[in-house]
Amino acid sequence: MLLCDFHIHTTYSDGSVELRKAIDIFGQAGFDAIAITDHVVSGDNSFGKLAHRFKYSVTANNFNQYMSHIKEEAKRAYDKYGMLVIAGVEITKNRLSVNDSAHILIVDVKEFIPACLSYEEIFLEAKSQKALIIACHPHYMSGTGDRDTLFLWNNRGKYARYIDAWEIANRDDVFNVVSLGKYPHIANSDFHKPKHLFSWKTLLNCVNDIDSIKQCIRHNKGVAITLFRN
Amino acid sequence: MWVLTVMLVVVIVLYLLEALAIRSYTASPKPDSGQLCRTFPAISILKPLKGLEDCLFDNLESFCNLDYPVYEVIFTLQDQNDPAYKVARKIKDKYPDKGISIVIDHCDAGLNPKVNNLIPAYKIAKHGLILISDSNVRVEKDYLADISRHMDDPSVGLVSNIIRGVSGRSFGAVMENLHLNSFVASSVCVLDKYLDMPCVVGKSMLMTKEDLEAIGGFTGVKDFLAEDYIIGQRIHALGKKVILSNHLINNVNEYWGLSRFINRHTRWGKLRWQIGGAKYLSELFTNAVFMAFILLLIMPVSTASVSFLAAVSLLKIAHDMYIGSRLRAGMSPLLYLLSPVKDLIIGFIWFVPIFSSTVNWRGNRYAIGKGSALSPLPDNGLWLLIYRLLKD
Repeated sequence: MLLCDFHIHTTYSDGSVELRKAIDIFGQAGFDAIAITDHVVSGDNSFGKLAHRFKYSVTANNFNQYMSHIKEEAKRAYDKYGMLVIAGVEITKNRLSVNDSAHILIVDVKEFIPACLSYEEIFLEAKSQKALIIACHPHYMSGTGDRDTLFLWNNRGKYARYIDAWEIANRDDVFNVVSLGKYPHIANSDFHKPKHLFSWKTLLNCVNDIDSIKQCIRHNKGVAITLFRN
Repeated sequence: MWVLTVMLVVVIVLYLLEALAIRSYTASPKPDSGQLCRTFPAISILKPLKGLEDCLFDNLESFCNLDYPVYEVIFTLQDQNDPAYKVARKIKDKYPDKGISIVIDHCDAGLNPKVNNLIPAYKIAKHGLILISDSNVRVEKDYLADISRHMDDPSVGLVSNIIRGVSGRSFGAVMENLHLNSFVASSVCVLDKYLDMPCVVGKSMLMTKEDLEAIGGFTGVKDFLAEDYIIGQRIHALGKKVILSNHLINNVNEYWGLSRFINRHTRWGKLRWQIGGAKYLSELFTNAVFMAFILLLIMPVSTASVSFLAAVSLLKIAHDMYIGSRLRAGMSPLLYLLSPVKDLIIGFIWFVPIFSSTVNWRGNRYAIGKGSALSPLPDNGLWLLIYRLLKD
């Protein structure tokens, strides 16, 4: 089984460790596949404007640099650790109400996707790039300072058909609504700090290449979750 | 005032002695092992693994790239579900020709979990020289060639090393590295140089199978917390020399929390209290920063007492900077400003062993007795009370 984490932040957005170090933390711990998913924040409201101002967001301006840096580090990680590093982003739509907020992982992204697009436009653009679409922390969290993002869950009837998998567990939270609803699932750390390494993870029973991983998650066969503790 | 002046002089002398001891080990040039006319006996490296140490992959990988003719590496774990297993597996896959073995055996021969981990590895060790090396250790390519030269002398029974803490990125890790690079390194060197007392730190121990078996093997130390110290003492008692090699090895502590630092040094303090008895008291009096702080608390606050604390703190910072530079620990000079803070924490930890003789180590709870002998500790509550009453 491949030990995986598809939700990792670095100093390209609000993570506390640089890209190279974040990759090393997972490589040193024996991971097989990870995705770097820094925030792309919607700049059409005051939250987003602040995030852009304080450089807590990947933007259209630095997206190419972000991608080439990930590509360079991915090669190093594969050579050194045999670990696959996939480029991704977390489309971040924060609103005043948690019911209107949503975070979406786009894993294996190729081109910049603005977060200010409509949900349909974002999903269709991600599909056209053959990227994975994952709904992040879709339900109530344990209240450790993170704001809940309930929009996608509240509107699952409309949007579930676009979503390849839902986070059934995020860091230390478990969202049993996802399993009760029998939605395809994965589990991630939402890594921002080194201590977040020890959190919920995904185990995949597939070959360690991007296409096999995406197929495994989409079909949701051979997917298990594990609480990774030391 | 004159009392404080005398105390300050004592502190200066003490720090000078420590600095000289460290200097004597780090000044001697490292022999060029390639040019020495000597044999290179085959070595079995036993690496007990439990959990993910910081930079585990790099630590283990450093043992796969040693400039040494014949050696094997045995990674040994109690449980296949241990997260370290996956890392060991990756290292073995990356270096298929390096003679790496992975042993998984839930051995429960004794109470010391590290020794329980070592016993199955020892059973399959092929070579006559045994090296025990902790998983948080990273070494240079010339490590084996350098330390094994001591074994050319048949009167040498054990070789251990000076350790230096490296790579600290969190507050707890910086505290740990400051302590390793001051108190631990200087204590080991002072004991070895001035008092001829072997003080073996188990992060790196090289010995022959023959000597290990002569002292009862790992089974003989399975119920001791300080198995490294006991092995050193017993080999010394055989009439063999216990050598402190000047080859520095890296103890990688990157993202420790403060609680882990406190937990480790509480455990080590209990160990030294049980082994050293009254000698343990000397540790308090040589912690000059803490003593100056206590003086400030018990004496009326005056210019003299505040100045004394400030002077001692500055001396300690300078002392630790010097030792750190001798050890080439690579710490930012600014971090040494935290040395007095670390000594204050250590000063408070010092008292814990006087009142408590239980340890929590790698998820196991024990009572620790004379010579660091371990006894199983029942779970808390009434049983614990009964156990303590019966024990006393």
